[in-house]
Amino acid sequence: MTTTAAPAARPRVASTHRLTFARVLRSEWIKLSTLRSTWWSISIAALFTIGIAVLVAGAVNVPGFEPIQAVVTPFQFTMLLAGILGAIAVTGEYSTGMIRSTLAADPVRGSVLAAKAIVVGVFLFISSLAIFILAAIAVMPIFASRDIAFPGDDLAGAIVPILAASFSMAVFALIGVAFGFLLRSGAGAIAATVGLLFVLPIIASIFAMPVEGWEWITDVSNHLPMTAAQSAILPQDGVGLSTGEAYLTLGAWVAAGMASAWAVLRTRDA
Amino acid sequence: MITAEGLTKRFGDKTAVQDVSFTVKPGTVTGFLGPNGAGKSTTMRMIVGLDKPTAGRTSVNGKEYRRLRAPLTEVGVLLDAKAVHTGRTARNHLRAMAATHGIPSSRVDEVIDLAGIGSVARKRAGKFSLGMGQRLGIASALLGDPHTLILDEPVNGLDPEGVRWVRQFVRFAASEGRTVLLSSHLMSEMAQTADHVIVMGRGRVLADAPLDELVRAWTATTVRVRSPRIADLASAVASSDVEIVSTSPDSLDIVGLPASRIGDIAADRGIPLHELTPANGSLEDAYLALTGESVEYRSADYSVKELA
Repeated sequence: MTTTAAPAARPRVASTHRLTFARVLRSEWIKLSTLRSTWWSISIAALFTIGIAVLVAGAVNVPGFEPIQAVVTPFQFTMLLAGILGAIAVTGEYSTGMIRSTLAADPVRGSVLAAKAIVVGVFLFISSLAIFILAAIAVMPIFASRDIAFPGDDLAGAIVPILAASFSMAVFALIGVAFGFLLRSGAGAIAATVGLLFVLPIIASIFAMPVEGWEWITDVSNHLPMTAAQSAILPQDGVGLSTGEAYLTLGAWVAAGMASAWAVLRTRDA
Repeated sequence: MITAEGLTKRFGDKTAVQDVSFTVKPGTVTGFLGPNGAGKSTTMRMIVGLDKPTAGRTSVNGKEYRRLRAPLTEVGVLLDAKAVHTGRTARNHLRAMAATHGIPSSRVDEVIDLAGIGSVARKRAGKFSLGMGQRLGIASALLGDPHTLILDEPVNGLDPEGVRWVRQFVRFAASEGRTVLLSSHLMSEMAQTADHVIVMGRGRVLADAPLDELVRAWTATTVRVRSPRIADLASAVASSDVEIVSTSPDSLDIVGLPASRIGDIAADRGIPLHELTPANGSLEDAYLALTGESVEYRSADYSVKELA
């Protein structure tokens, strides 16, 4: 075959267009924000949080009941939405084949995992923060009608639990992300996430009895994500973990989830 | 430039690709052929780092794909049309891909026009037809204006206009000095598009040669002759290595002699010729001859009886 010298391809896209982590973060944000399911999940979480907060604030009128309890209590339901949102942010890519486009654009798998985790985590933290603040505003008139000033003088007493609850929502979403990468299937990842967040605490509470030799069950139960989050949001003396232990436990769940996700993502064929 | 060296991929105890080595040169369109299950797609997936080779390695422009600093501007990949989230619009999909490299949305709109999906760019990809999905996949591959194109079955599902567009586009890309690796099952299409072909069968490279060379090596030239004295001509050219098939009372197909030789023989004996047409074998003939042994999933042979 005769080969003629081929003219060098003239780049029409400037060479400044290269892969950076900041750009991958931006790409992940575009991906998350352009799916309807994201906004559905957040809208339902907002509706549940504000609705349950108002219901609880209106119904519970006993001495010692703190207004902030009404605001953060709904997390026990909305945590499932956070977990599911995190799980489908990943499994949606596997079920549609999108993951191959994602990994072709950014072949550094650790970077894909980190970017997705950061975007999902930060998005859940910020949107939960907004939702809990709206819920706090929504319950104010109810407490005002009982002459209870909320947030009152103890502003930190209201803000710290809201920050802790928002942080917990981000943790739940990241547990979903980890199960998504581990299991790849939407049904499997959602089942695992719901199982860990919702079902295990129920089972543990059934067996968490002061029976000799069963203390470890209480111990395990206290370290489950949901119970650890409860201890972080509204610590109770003598019950569950201390605040420090609670944050450490939540952090450990995220670390373990991300480490196992990375272990499978870096070796498996996409 | 794409290279594969001793590339091997095993899935459990099944070997999908075995010790495959080749080089795809810039400035040419290289066709990647082989029966279903021959290992073409797996090889392409290993080139772009989606599958990890069991042994061997691949590189694009001298670097492993995972080490490229700007994969989208170096390599445009179309592995299958179903590499798009069904819930996202075509434009948003392209925006998300472009964002990873800081490619501006003006370029996104450019590739949308180039691929002819302007009218559906704001529709969700899940509602796309096969052809539209394919065009979106091609648009995605072109985002970074890459020097290398890896296209797995790009014309699958396209309308004739789309097929021609892909052919002209890859020919143009090669003429600009880009590297193009393209797989297809449409032999006639490949024959018009590729300069060079790599044929795989059962995970191995069966042939790696310029297209015309491959066709010449694996097919025989048939010469169609027509003459009022056809029987005389038949006996004049007959020999042990010449195959003669009678196609009508006054014509023959002769395999094993060049047209010039047949014409000379006829002239020597004063046999008038009304037709002397050499017909080269096709890429399809060459391909079938080459892969005959290595077809993984063979279709049942139809006999006339079964069809009747």
